Amino acid sequence: MTSHLFRLELRLLARERAAWVLLGLFAAALAYGLWNGVRLAHRQSEAATALTQDAAQFQTQLREVLGKQSVDPKAIAGRGTTAVLPAAPLPLLATGQSDLSPSHETVVLWKLAAPADTRSELENPSHLMAGRFDLAFVLVWLFPLFLLALIYDLMAGDRESGTLRLALAQGIAPWGWMARRALARSLPMLTLAALATLTAGFFGGAGGAGPRLPLALTVVLTYGLFWVALALAANAIARTAAGAATALGAAWVLLVLVAPTLLNVTVETLYPTPSRPELVAAGRKASGDAEKRGGELLNSFYRDHPELAPPGQQADFAAQHLTVQSEVGRAVEPVRQKFDAQLARQQTAVGQWRFVSPAIAAHEALTDLAGTGYWRHRAFREQVGGLRQAVSAFFTPRIHKREPITSADLDKLPRFEFREEPAGTWMGRVLASLAGMLALAGVLGAWAWRSLRPARLGRLST
Amino acid sequence: MILAIARKEFLDAWRDGRFRIAAAVVLVLLGVALLLAWQQVQRTRAEHNAAAALERENWLNQGEKNSHSAGHYGVYVFKPLAPLAVFDRGLEPFVGTTVFLEAHRQNQAAFLPAQDATAMRRFGELTAATGLQLLVPLLIVLLTFGALAGERERGTLRQVLSLGVRPRDLVLGKALGLGAALAVLLLPAAGCGALALAQLPGGDAGGGWIRLAWMGAAYALYLAAILAVCLAVSAIASTARAALAILLVCWAANAVLAPRLASDFAQRLLPTPKLVDFETAMNKAVQEGLDGHNPRNDRLQAFAQATLKKHGKTRIEELPFNFNGLVMLESERMANEVFDHHFGKLWDHLEAQDRTVTWTGLIAPLLGLRSASMALAGTDFTHHRHFSVAAEQHRRDFVRVLNEDMMNTPAADGHHGGVAGRALWEKLPAFRYDPPPPAHALRAATPGLLVLFLWAAGAWTALLLVAPRLKPN
Repeated sequence: MTSHLFRLELRLLARERAAWVLLGLFAAALAYGLWNGVRLAHRQSEAATALTQDAAQFQTQLREVLGKQSVDPKAIAGRGTTAVLPAAPLPLLATGQSDLSPSHETVVLWKLAAPADTRSELENPSHLMAGRFDLAFVLVWLFPLFLLALIYDLMAGDRESGTLRLALAQGIAPWGWMARRALARSLPMLTLAALATLTAGFFGGAGGAGPRLPLALTVVLTYGLFWVALALAANAIARTAAGAATALGAAWVLLVLVAPTLLNVTVETLYPTPSRPELVAAGRKASGDAEKRGGELLNSFYRDHPELAPPGQQADFAAQHLTVQSEVGRAVEPVRQKFDAQLARQQTAVGQWRFVSPAIAAHEALTDLAGTGYWRHRAFREQVGGLRQAVSAFFTPRIHKREPITSADLDKLPRFEFREEPAGTWMGRVLASLAGMLALAGVLGAWAWRSLRPARLGRLST
Repeated sequence: MILAIARKEFLDAWRDGRFRIAAAVVLVLLGVALLLAWQQVQRTRAEHNAAAALERENWLNQGEKNSHSAGHYGVYVFKPLAPLAVFDRGLEPFVGTTVFLEAHRQNQAAFLPAQDATAMRRFGELTAATGLQLLVPLLIVLLTFGALAGERERGTLRQVLSLGVRPRDLVLGKALGLGAALAVLLLPAAGCGALALAQLPGGDAGGGWIRLAWMGAAYALYLAAILAVCLAVSAIASTARAALAILLVCWAANAVLAPRLASDFAQRLLPTPKLVDFETAMNKAVQEGLDGHNPRNDRLQAFAQATLKKHGKTRIEELPFNFNGLVMLESERMANEVFDHHFGKLWDHLEAQDRTVTWTGLIAPLLGLRSASMALAGTDFTHHRHFSVAAEQHRRDFVRVLNEDMMNTPAADGHHGGVAGRALWEKLPAFRYDPPPPAHALRAATPGLLVLFLWAAGAWTALLLVAPRLKPN
């Protein structure tokens, strides 16, 4: 009986022309999403490769020059050190923040305290607003729609037409019947979604995808499972197929369209985004104050660090600039920290509330797994902060002491190496998202099961 | 007869529990969106004003220094938030808020608010505009899908037509009644919107009320077109269920798919240049001239010769002013030509992409509406460009004043002129941005409005053509 019903349902599905059209459209959307991902990943990796090559070329040239003579540290410091965020582990899965957050930055000693321009590519703002037609879009937004179009009528239609009484008279357990039906009808869509996710992993992964791909697959299937559970719950109570469809459509609108935007405004109201203009103006005030006291600051600096005083005590312009700059950095640091802390609070709140909608949880998990999410870009920003300190620590004493750079210093020159977030950290977030989705699906499924107990059969079939 | 039918439809709609619940949800969302946006606009403006005032203080109190050093110290200017962003934030989160004005360089506006926001921003924003663009159409679908197809299914359509009611009157009556039910729902919401604008200090800047009125017209055209399309589908579809399915697919295509697909299409048709290519070409043109055959040094040499000749001198030291200041003025003029050309080309390109998206609105009306709404709210790219141009003009004025001062100050060190102080800094007015008049917004909104007009006209014509052929079963 068990497999018989399942096979029957599959055969019925295969006879529906609409089902084939829906599957075809979904496959096309997945393919287009993947193709778009390939194009964007290519564009981004091209830029990263060019920058990395450029930096390597400079290293080679520097090595040659230093082999012959020593060089003034100011000359090297002026060129800057480029930090490049390596290609994401699964870029085809989700664009995430990668088209918005900068993925490279050049740190120049002289501009350590200046507000850095935050752009690393030209983008049409309307394109950013519309968002990209990537795989994550197809999986989070469209996948439930296509899935629901196939499974919205699991029992409600039979109840409406009266065939439910007939079917139940055969002695089928309503829950088992509906669950098998749901499984058979959702199987083709789930398979397509899983295949697309695997394709994204196999063709786009930068090698080190590791456990990310199986996790991504689990996220996609769990997300699908949630919608199947929702369809079961809707069918357990709806009296007509149209009623079930309306309820499911409304749920999609609320969970995918409304909940995330509502969460966004709530978080922005509770933890307002700190003001960039205020941060910029505060930094400028600090730099104005420090500049006016430039000579005095430098003198007190040499009083504190006599070992760094240049030969003959004659301070030059560069040394004064560096002293002013470090004073600005010190003055602005509390403001900047407050700014960053507020941003982190915002994102933490989103993290806590992501369970209100599986669409949010799935999207956060997919971008995390792709390596294009908020936290990886945040880690990059923080590590660039570390590079700034390294650049300052390397060049400042040498410039004060007017100590030339020799070939012995070559390997000590600050360099940027991105450290990925520890696997435990991102995995914790992803697993929490997964658990949240599973819990929601479980609650819905249990509720549907309760409503379909044989004891309630009488009420069910009328 | 039409009025009687309209009255009956109007009452039916309001007695329908499902419509009442959906309407309440939409109204609450619109209210929340409006209230929170109002609060956010207020806060952003206060922060912006505080930052601008502090930056002005920074400029005035920068102490005594060489005027060219002051040019490098520069000024930051901040983009004020348009008052109508209360309804439609448009591109605001995705364009820079801060421009650094300095000597020699035209900078792009930096710091996109979306970069500082959480990843949730990418799901879209809850504003009154998105509510009206996405959710109200869904409400219309819910209200109308069964209006004719349902009556046909139940057999009441045959009865009504047998009474001698003209099909066209029936359809128009239904349209009128359902339209009125929607209007009763939306007019108070529009009233709240107007109140929000009135309560906003400086809400009328840039012709706020005229813009709001046109926005109202754009949304009315959009919703009217959707109402007509829905009724036409309901008139043709054999069952209410079929009508609902068709309408939901159309809604999803318009609201969910079209924005991304159209944006992709525009990018493919007119690809955005890469930042590195753009900057390389511009820097090259600054050095070698726009035609690439006129090196900057040659031009400045020729300029020096021409100046000497004009003043009848043979040596630069003999000139009655600081020649370095004049050279700065001339090189700024030369660079500005390059900036005008390159930034102009880039911005034209981005506007062309946006126009392409607007015209794809002929397939999905949301795109036409979005473009018109943002333009009228003052949150589209043309308004951002207007701000960028104003900021750049301020930069040129400020650099010119500094260079003129240098020109008129004898060169103390034989090179960069003397030391200036607060008297000169005060000569430079604070940056004040006046948003463009409503005519600018209307020009920018014209393609979108045209698209909406064509949709409304087309949809109502279609409805009137379908109506007489209404089949009783």
